[in-house]
Amino acid sequence: MRRNFLLALVISATLLLPVSAQRLNNADVKSAPVRLTLPVKDGSVRFAVIGDTGSGTEKQRDVGSMMAQYRVAFPFEFVLMMGDNMYGGEAPADFEKKFSEPYKALLDNKVKFYASLGNHDQSLQTNYANFNMNGKEYYRFKKGNVAFYALNSNYMDKKQVEWLESELSKDTSEWKVCFFHHPPYSSAKAHGSDPQLREVVEPIFIKYGVNVVLSGHDHVYERIKPQKGIYYFVSGAGGKLREGDVKDTSPITDKSYDRDLHFMLFEVAGDQMYFQAISRTGETIDSGLITRKGKS
Amino acid sequence: MKQTMFVTVVVCALFATTSTVAQDKSALAPPAVISPADKTTIQTFEKQVSAYVDLRNKLRANAPKLSKDSTPEQIHAYRTALEQSIRAARANAKRGDLFRPETADYIRRTLKLEFQGKDRAELRDTIFETETQGVVLRVNYPYAQSAEFSEMPATLLTKLPQLPKEVRYRFVGHNMLLVDRESNVIIDYMPDALP
Repeated sequence: MRRNFLLALVISATLLLPVSAQRLNNADVKSAPVRLTLPVKDGSVRFAVIGDTGSGTEKQRDVGSMMAQYRVAFPFEFVLMMGDNMYGGEAPADFEKKFSEPYKALLDNKVKFYASLGNHDQSLQTNYANFNMNGKEYYRFKKGNVAFYALNSNYMDKKQVEWLESELSKDTSEWKVCFFHHPPYSSAKAHGSDPQLREVVEPIFIKYGVNVVLSGHDHVYERIKPQKGIYYFVSGAGGKLREGDVKDTSPITDKSYDRDLHFMLFEVAGDQMYFQAISRTGETIDSGLITRKGKS
Repeated sequence: MKQTMFVTVVVCALFATTSTVAQDKSALAPPAVISPADKTTIQTFEKQVSAYVDLRNKLRANAPKLSKDSTPEQIHAYRTALEQSIRAARANAKRGDLFRPETADYIRRTLKLEFQGKDRAELRDTIFETETQGVVLRVNYPYAQSAEFSEMPATLLTKLPQLPKEVRYRFVGHNMLLVDRESNVIIDYMPDALP
């Protein structure tokens, strides 16, 4: 009871924080109310999630601005990218228009981006410094008590599956988060669940205690009802939207949003993972808490 | 806006124990029994792919160096140089050099088996819907940069002859392509691959 009260107090204290453009050193960042539901605990792992971003549109830039505004209240250290980082061409000017400009405020503040590849992405994005892929299409990195696995779901060959299994089998991290482009579960009409990918990766996720799986591809937001103990999110509308694409009566949906672009924020503190999904205009679409119990 | 906070519990330890029993099968299906003739076909194909990789890696050494922390300009310069040198070195390459008739036959049979059933029919439709407009199906030409890549089904990739990291299978409509991963040059393709 007391714990819940304290939690409510922390959240209340962080609600409606005014943000000024000057604090971000970016004149393009617009002022808007920030309504944070995350507790911002000392020492927590904080990150953002965006997917299907690389359209280079004004709306993509709006999302980037909103992320920068939220970062003042919630200083996240890095961003996970769910793929389709670049639609169309990949000339130097495209990198500028579809990545560097929309997220300039974040890049200027040394926020690191960790990308995965989508079906629109050329392989050589792995060598782009700002995507931090270290020349690899699939890779692992760790922040605090959380291990992150970026996978290439567009080409899940035997080598990658064996690498994933080998890495997970020796991973003693408390939290294991996998992120990649194609959603194993999705209620969107355009693409929907990817059963072939699921057939290959899900048994590995289960066997080695993966807690959370993040993906994109469908240009919507969806939180899937936990499947076999794993939490799946679809966050594929960071730069492109398929309005009204989520099936109304899907039995696997816990929460969905398909009216505007969005991004997500996550905070991991000990056995707790808080999340918040936020629309392009700053509206909170979804929020919640996942509690981890037991050993990895 | 009313915010709903939900609290859920992940019972990892208990779940891992029970699920390991339930899911104690490898994600990679055991290889099907392959006839000696098919084995020879696969080995020949793998040797040809390997010869291609040797060539392109030699050419790569002459391209501008590409670090893991490259700029878009460096990536562009590297890709362009590699593409041009591969195309020049393989100016006489033609369709069927790597996808020889016996290889194409083996792959078609593998694809036919993989694409059986209702869910696989849906998968085939997904491949056909991939936006590959702009891809010129021509050996030694680059896969159009603006075109989408169709997802290569994970279940299929474990069954096809394994490729080194420099080379990829791709689908464009019914056609299966062999593509250089970095330069996107089409190394070879076979028509009517998908049933």
